[in-house]
Amino acid sequence: MLQTVTERESIGTTQLAAYRFMLRARLLDEKFAALYRAGKIHGGVFLGRGQEALSAAIGVHLNKSDVFAPLIRDAAGRLAFGETILDAVRTYMGSALGPMRGRDGNVHRGKPQEGYLAMISHLGAMISVVNGVLFARRMKGISSIVGVACLGEGATSTGSFHEALNQAAVEKLPLVLVVANNQYAYSTPNDRQFACDDLVHKAAGYGVGAHSVVGNDLVACLKVVGTAVARARAGQGPQLVVANLLRLCGHGEHDDAGYIVPELKNSPLGRDCLKLAEDFLLKEKITDAAQLAVWRSEAIREIEDAVAQVQREPAPDPFAENWTALSTENLAEGRE
Amino acid sequence: MPQIPIIMPQLGESIAEAAIISFLVQPGAQVEGGQDLIEVETNKATMTVTAPCSGRIESFSAELNESYAVGDVLGKLEVTAEEAKRAGLDVPPPEKTGDTESIVKQQPTGKSSRVEPTIRGLPVPANATGASYMSPRLKARMHELGLSAADLAGIAGSGAAGRVTVEDFEKFMANLEQQKLTKASSMRVAVADAMRRSWTRPLATVGLPVALDALLAHRKSCNPKPGPALYALRALALALAENSAVAGRLVGTNIVHPSSIDVGFAVEAEDGVLVPVIRAANKKSLKELVVRYDELVELARQRKLPADATGGSVATVTNFGTFGLIWATPIPLPEQTLVLGLGAGRKMPHWDEAKGQFVPVTEAYLTLSFDHRVLDGGAAGRLLQRIAALMKQPELL
Amino acid sequence: MSITYLEAIREAQAHALRDDPRVFIYGQDIGAFGGAFKATKNLAKEFPGRVLDSPISEDAMVGLAVGAAIEGMRPIVEMQFADFSTVGFNQVVNQAATLFWRTNVSCPITVRLPFGGTSGSGPFHSQCIEAIYAHYPGIIVLTPATVEDAYSMLLAAVATNDPVIFCEHKFLYYHLKAEKLPSEALPIGKARIAREGRDLTIVTYSAMVHEALAAATELATEGWEIEVVDLRSVKPLDTDTVIASVARTGRLLCVGEAWPWGGVTAEVIARVSAESYGLLDAPPQRLNAKDTPVPYHPNLWAAHRPTARSVAAAARKLLRF
Repeated sequence: MLQTVTERESIGTTQLAAYRFMLRARLLDEKFAALYRAGKIHGGVFLGRGQEALSAAIGVHLNKSDVFAPLIRDAAGRLAFGETILDAVRTYMGSALGPMRGRDGNVHRGKPQEGYLAMISHLGAMISVVNGVLFARRMKGISSIVGVACLGEGATSTGSFHEALNQAAVEKLPLVLVVANNQYAYSTPNDRQFACDDLVHKAAGYGVGAHSVVGNDLVACLKVVGTAVARARAGQGPQLVVANLLRLCGHGEHDDAGYIVPELKNSPLGRDCLKLAEDFLLKEKITDAAQLAVWRSEAIREIEDAVAQVQREPAPDPFAENWTALSTENLAEGRE
Repeated sequence: MPQIPIIMPQLGESIAEAAIISFLVQPGAQVEGGQDLIEVETNKATMTVTAPCSGRIESFSAELNESYAVGDVLGKLEVTAEEAKRAGLDVPPPEKTGDTESIVKQQPTGKSSRVEPTIRGLPVPANATGASYMSPRLKARMHELGLSAADLAGIAGSGAAGRVTVEDFEKFMANLEQQKLTKASSMRVAVADAMRRSWTRPLATVGLPVALDALLAHRKSCNPKPGPALYALRALALALAENSAVAGRLVGTNIVHPSSIDVGFAVEAEDGVLVPVIRAANKKSLKELVVRYDELVELARQRKLPADATGGSVATVTNFGTFGLIWATPIPLPEQTLVLGLGAGRKMPHWDEAKGQFVPVTEAYLTLSFDHRVLDGGAAGRLLQRIAALMKQPELL
Repeated sequence: MSITYLEAIREAQAHALRDDPRVFIYGQDIGAFGGAFKATKNLAKEFPGRVLDSPISEDAMVGLAVGAAIEGMRPIVEMQFADFSTVGFNQVVNQAATLFWRTNVSCPITVRLPFGGTSGSGPFHSQCIEAIYAHYPGIIVLTPATVEDAYSMLLAAVATNDPVIFCEHKFLYYHLKAEKLPSEALPIGKARIAREGRDLTIVTYSAMVHEALAAATELATEGWEIEVVDLRSVKPLDTDTVIASVARTGRLLCVGEAWPWGGVTAEVIARVSAESYGLLDAPPQRLNAKDTPVPYHPNLWAAHRPTARSVAAAARKLLRF
């Protein structure tokens, strides 16, 4: 069906917005990788290279009042949901002023009180937490919201995934579960991870909505994720989105990803979503090359400024640290 | 005919008791094994208690609407011996080992225990000689009160292997307060502390009589006159100069050798003993020593010893003969290995081979107490012989 | 009128639901059925939509509670048996227990664990696993021994802004009765002197308090005065009260129904030894269950866990030292 001019403009705006989050996420990731190689980041660095289209498509479809539990390759979605580049840099560099105050780092960041959940490392564990937030909001009479939990295909093998998706289905919660099937869970290929023809078939088993999408195609991602989010928001229960794509980097910056077979790299899945999105925007004349260059240099400047600022910020002070894990301080043990 | 109890059965996981809702048969009724007898209600469900075997209901002891714990007797069933045997109910049930009932009813558990406690043996003091083991608390209390193990020697311990428990200790202390107590002088406490510390070592004493006639004759020719103890001191200093290793101290696996033959001598002062020290006593003649000796005795009696005249000596001389004693086993100072003692001089008959008769000789015992870890009886004896030989030739001193 | 330990737990939940609209209860079979032990009897009817059956998904049950707590609710999760909570262990110790420290957002959830041995319950319906939860920072672990504490401590748990593992002993559910519910209570983190004495201190908690009291009664006939300290909460652990008691008696016996390795009894002894070595007139001792799974047959079970008899035997041995 032909789209009206207004619809086309609106879609174009969304596409542009998503593209800009993808671009900023890619450049931010590259900066993290450079800082890691320079020894300026403690611990690991995990890139979203190849997954930005899917991630951005999630972020742009969420409102501030929604719930988002991103995973490790969701820098684009995080920015789109409202995270600042400064908070991302602060968390990676362990700044005392960041949302995690140096107590946790890299991708383990969030602001739970704003519906932006900070992931723990145990895969699948965040889904039921999203369920809980949605459950509580429903008890409080809040409607027309959705909660998105992101995971990889590896997490679909966990008990937590099963328990939580079933729970969401039983409670008919507005959960959108987005699985980025990037073909490898760390180094384990899909044929050692699951035996079904397509992960999206699992949706039927749980009684939830099913959506498949080619994950390096921004336009497709926006459409499919948008549909899933809209259905969940409209009260049609949990939705499972499975995006097929390829991780264009190692599990972390310590990993050269030598296990990724050339056939996959050379297949359509191996094409870079950011390049594909740029080609599309130029071809459809939604924007021009000069504008893309401006956005790129603006993003680089913003990132460089943030890194420069964070490097001047105080590191956490072990002597000033409040070493108690309880919010009820008088019940904490071992205080000195 | 045997009677078999009708028991509240285990009605499900974690069910501890059930209430009687109704009796489905009356006493006197003939029932079959497995027949429903009593309807009971648990928190989970309504269930029934069944007959353990065929027989006649003798009585119900349970009452309607009352709760009974699992295992409680609800009534009795009269059965034939044959039936009881067939149902395997002719042997009494094993003694119940659970303590379930004792909690609810606080029954005394006087029966002999079939259950070995899982606790293992407490460590028994390795040395079963009473006060050898001191608990942390006992040590802490002693420390608090400034007491040492020696102070506990009079307590009969009531603990394992006769050890003194804190209770024994506190009783002992409370009892002390009933008696007359005076404050020991600081001198007394200092001596006590030194002796107690010294006594941690294996000490031994050897003795030898020595004729003093030559010494006494020599003394008459001197002015001022040195006392017999000073002769002994000088003799000891010369003997040690020849072999100072015997005055060394054992620390771990090393012998610490004296760097200078500084010798002390005991002077009785009020309620204690002071030990002034003569430095390098081997390097001064008797004549030179006597002035210093007399001066230090006087200063000690006045309790005015200068700092350079106390401490750091390698051995001590004590003249217990001044108390009329002929023999003693003095204890060396804790930092010393040797203490030389001199007994009272007595006229003793000595057989004179040349004259063929007894002649009077003035004789006194020399004693040497020593740390047996550092030297043995032989070495101590040789040292004492050498000292005696020097004392017999006072002109060499 | 009398009220059981179990009824006190039900009443505390009814009270919490009535007083605080943020409270809801989530667990298996707890809705219309009222729970495996009837701890939520009639609550679903009385508080519609707030006492909810969950799927058999311990992990997701706790995860949901954490999410709801982030939203300001005060969920109570009922584990059908403490033993099954290990399936949801990850969400408790990694999600709930770390949330506040990581994000500065409190996690006021109460996880009720019906725990401890009862006759015939066997290896998977009898476990005492308070120590493994207490091992993790960020969790409060409560172990009430009386009807009054079951009631007041559950209310306190729901009111606490941190994750609480509430260990309610199944053995006490029906056995323990009180005349009425308490109107006041000791605060969380304070131990209670359950019986005063001067010869030996028994430190224990939950059902073992009653075994220790029975042992103390028996030992009293032999002339011994045993002090029994009921910890009430194993984390935080009221070291001060324990040490004050050891100061009075000089002898310490710790009793726990849990397995011995690295548990609450070990922790108490470590603290007393380290912080008040000079108060001990005898080596501190402990008595725990045997280091095997919990057996099924009553004879084996009674020998597996400490009982009044074995507590008394251990105490006698220590008293003779």
